[in-house]
Amino acid sequence: MEQPKKKTYVEDIERALYDIKDIDRSRYKSKSGLTEEIIRDISRRKHDPQWMLDFRLKSLEVYHSLALPAWGPDISELNMDEIVTYVQPDAKLSGDWQEVPEDIKDTFDRLGIPEAEQKSLGGVGAQYDSEVVYHSIQEDLTRQGVIYTDMETALREQEELVKEYFMTLVPPKDHKFAALHGAVWSGGSFVYVPEGVQVDIPLQSYFRLNAAGAGQFEHTLIIVEKGASLHFIEGCSAPRHNVTNLHAGCVELFVKEGARLRYSTIENWSRNMMNLNTKRALVEKDGLIEWVSGSFGSHISCLYPCSVLHGENARCEFTGVTFASRGQNLDTGASVIHAAPHTSANINTRTISKAGGAATYRSAVKVTKNAPYAKCSVNCESLMLDDESRSDTLPVMDIQGAEANIGHEAKIGRISDEAIFYLMSRGIDENEARAMIVRGFVEPIAKELPLEYAVEMNNLVNLELEGTMG
Amino acid sequence: MRKMTAISEEIFSAIPLPTWRWLGVNEAKVPAGVNIKEAMRQEIVVAAGQQRTLSRQERAGASELHIRLEPGADFALEQAVLLTAGQSSATRLKVTVSDGAKFSYTGAYVGGAEAAAAVEVELLGKESRADVWALYLGDDRNKIDLNYIIRQQGRRTEANMQVRGALLTGAEKIFRGTLDFLQGTKGSVGRENEEVLLLSEDVRNRSVPLMLSHEDEVDGHHAVSVGQMDEEKLFYLQSRGLSPEEARRLMVTAVLQPVMDRFSEEVREKVMSELEGRLSHE
Amino acid sequence: MDLTNDEHRLKESIMAKLLEVKNLHAGVEDKEILKGVSLTLGKGEVHVILGPNGSGKSTLMNVLLGHPKYRVTEGSLDFEGENLLEKPVYERARAGLFLSFQSPEEIPGITLENMIRTAKQAVTGEKVKLLPFRKELKAAMEKLKMSPEYARRYLNVGFSGGEKKRAEILQLLMLAPKLALLDETDSGLDVDAVQIVSEGVAGFRKENPDSSVLIITHNARILEKLKVDRVHVLMEGKVAEEGGPELISQVNDHGFAHLLEAEG
Repeated sequence: MEQPKKKTYVEDIERALYDIKDIDRSRYKSKSGLTEEIIRDISRRKHDPQWMLDFRLKSLEVYHSLALPAWGPDISELNMDEIVTYVQPDAKLSGDWQEVPEDIKDTFDRLGIPEAEQKSLGGVGAQYDSEVVYHSIQEDLTRQGVIYTDMETALREQEELVKEYFMTLVPPKDHKFAALHGAVWSGGSFVYVPEGVQVDIPLQSYFRLNAAGAGQFEHTLIIVEKGASLHFIEGCSAPRHNVTNLHAGCVELFVKEGARLRYSTIENWSRNMMNLNTKRALVEKDGLIEWVSGSFGSHISCLYPCSVLHGENARCEFTGVTFASRGQNLDTGASVIHAAPHTSANINTRTISKAGGAATYRSAVKVTKNAPYAKCSVNCESLMLDDESRSDTLPVMDIQGAEANIGHEAKIGRISDEAIFYLMSRGIDENEARAMIVRGFVEPIAKELPLEYAVEMNNLVNLELEGTMG
Repeated sequence: MRKMTAISEEIFSAIPLPTWRWLGVNEAKVPAGVNIKEAMRQEIVVAAGQQRTLSRQERAGASELHIRLEPGADFALEQAVLLTAGQSSATRLKVTVSDGAKFSYTGAYVGGAEAAAAVEVELLGKESRADVWALYLGDDRNKIDLNYIIRQQGRRTEANMQVRGALLTGAEKIFRGTLDFLQGTKGSVGRENEEVLLLSEDVRNRSVPLMLSHEDEVDGHHAVSVGQMDEEKLFYLQSRGLSPEEARRLMVTAVLQPVMDRFSEEVREKVMSELEGRLSHE
Repeated sequence: MDLTNDEHRLKESIMAKLLEVKNLHAGVEDKEILKGVSLTLGKGEVHVILGPNGSGKSTLMNVLLGHPKYRVTEGSLDFEGENLLEKPVYERARAGLFLSFQSPEEIPGITLENMIRTAKQAVTGEKVKLLPFRKELKAAMEKLKMSPEYARRYLNVGFSGGEKKRAEILQLLMLAPKLALLDETDSGLDVDAVQIVSEGVAGFRKENPDSSVLIITHNARILEKLKVDRVHVLMEGKVAEEGGPELISQVNDHGFAHLLEAEG
């Protein structure tokens, strides 16, 4: 089998390189607080159709009417009155997809990415070599009717589709950050796979690097029609160059009858990111949504991909790993709503916490009255590498009806001394023995990832373990 | 990081770490018609090295029990909340356990309109232990709302929380069970397990097993299983001549049996006859 | 018996010493378990350790390998003339010690193949090339009648007792240590395990004639295919008796009690 030419993403994880590259970009001053005027301005720059402007304004109203959530990590350091300063860089990016700023190119130089690969950085969206590969595949798929583009283009060229689906699954009234997203969203990906089309090679998205700050409210909308299949990879693997404080993206996935969608992400945001992302999938009869989710970066994350199993026999497979280190509070998990008979879900997660980091597994499994014979099994394991850290598990199961079968299991603990001794007795030194065990711990997740992401995850684990062991 | 929920007057108990509002599991309300300010309060101190048992049967209304176990004390409490139709109760239990002491609890919740219970055990001392077991049978549209918390603070403590229940006709139940490993509780072990049988279309079961940890040198495990009776086993029993109803009754009591076995004979008989009555009604 | 002892001493002086344990005292926390164990093992020799439950056999194995739970309070441990006591566990393994555990750890996420390859790299200090390694592993697994799919399974997870034993012996064959320590305290009860260990160790000896074996077992069948050079009987933390292979049948026939009496 011919492997598409891939470059490794390993270089990206040298976060330190990014950290020293933090440039303060000038932004023009505006009134504090998010106002109608600002929204109209964003909308004008983006050449929104009228209905989108109306949508934004309505979302703004909802945003002002909602309170911050009363649970989860403390996000009080996020000054909501200054939210406009987070939104502001948005205004600059309108249509500016072609240009890679000098400093980003410079960063890539420093990361040692070869000349040849840099040439493709000017391309649409992804700055990676792999994009060219996928782009050529895309042409092949285009003939079959597959649409893969950025959201702004989709809004222009596929207006009816966007209008039909946009923020119907995550309505702005869902929570304050969904409302914020509805008001100020910008960028993101749009994918449409027509009935019966199998997209064999994953589509990947790397929009966020293109214009610094643009991705913070990106919207991803994917529609996989009847009997079609797709693997979509969200490339949050490259740390954001221009550091912003808030990421409130939104992902809406529509999996139609008998369709399959795999959605893989490794998030490795810089350590001063508030990652308040909302992801949701609606799965129809016999459809399958597979989530593979790795959370390594950010200062605070709230991320709980939700699967609404709407049609009979709809299925969800969720695989997640979260690694929280110093200064991080990663609150992640999943939720599943069983809304039709014979729906089933498997949730499998691993969390690791070290050096004072806090990792929380939070989940909800809801079985409605309309979902007899629902099946769900949850397994989460937490590994703590020291006693400064925190690891919490907060699962909720809400089951109506008599025919559901729900199982939940969670474990918490540390690396066993006996296992370390065993490995050392085979000649492996202590640091490597620990690293092996941690890698083994996340292995069930790693094996679900595309190879280069698995490699990257291993590297992230190694990077995280360096200096804490021994 | 940890937020404390402000307890308003109508809130009876809350989980230590709130979660999504839409799930409605963060706190238990005081049952209608129960005044917790007028709770019957009792304080018990079990002196160092002493061994005591106490058997209580709770009636409608509120009651509160504060128990302190001094070093090496051993206290076994059984508490049966058996209510008649329309009655509601709120029972609260606060227990502190010192070095080497052991608290053992067996509870049952059957009948009535609404039963709310809060059990809070602090394993303060080193090698202190808590063995907390409970059963419930929800039927006749009643509501059972339980919030059990075991906090492990001393070194080498042991917590075990075992809950079994069955839900019939319109019953609604919430069980929140928290194991909280505080920093410094090195060498501690925590186990929590809930098994729920769903026996009617119109029941609602909510299970919230929290496990919180600020200590790496622990071994924590919790599990919940929610489901129906095993058809194969029902078939097997019927093949031996039992009627479907008898087989069902036998299977329900089989699930509750491990908890039942811990009661004194007197309480066991009471709980059992209460269960039998309700299961044969069904 | 005195004669064999003399013979042994003679042999010892000719053959190169591999392991020398002198007056070893060790224990857990405040409890002393080994109370002055001394024994010497030459290159290419097979020694057996016998002893009743609680006599310190498994402790001795763990101490030889440097299990952190045990504290050595007195005595010395030399391996090829080097002091082992100062070395951490993995250095001892790299020096050529291997312990087949009585109950090996289950480690999820690490495949058996990955485990052995990583260990081989650590022990040999050389990069182990994947393809030749796989070939070698496959051959070794065939010898042990192990299905090749076990290579991809997580280390000991969900393995039966016999399968775990095979996985240990497989590591022994692949790592080819200078000294194989085999803790077979319990495997006397398991027919399958007895077979695996007996054939596996015989194979190991054949391929590595210079390597030595120190094995805890009183099962004659395990030892059938091995030429036992020396037997040490451990009682109450000390070597109570030493001798040739005939000691094994003596103990099996008469138990340990008479040895104690003989000691006086």
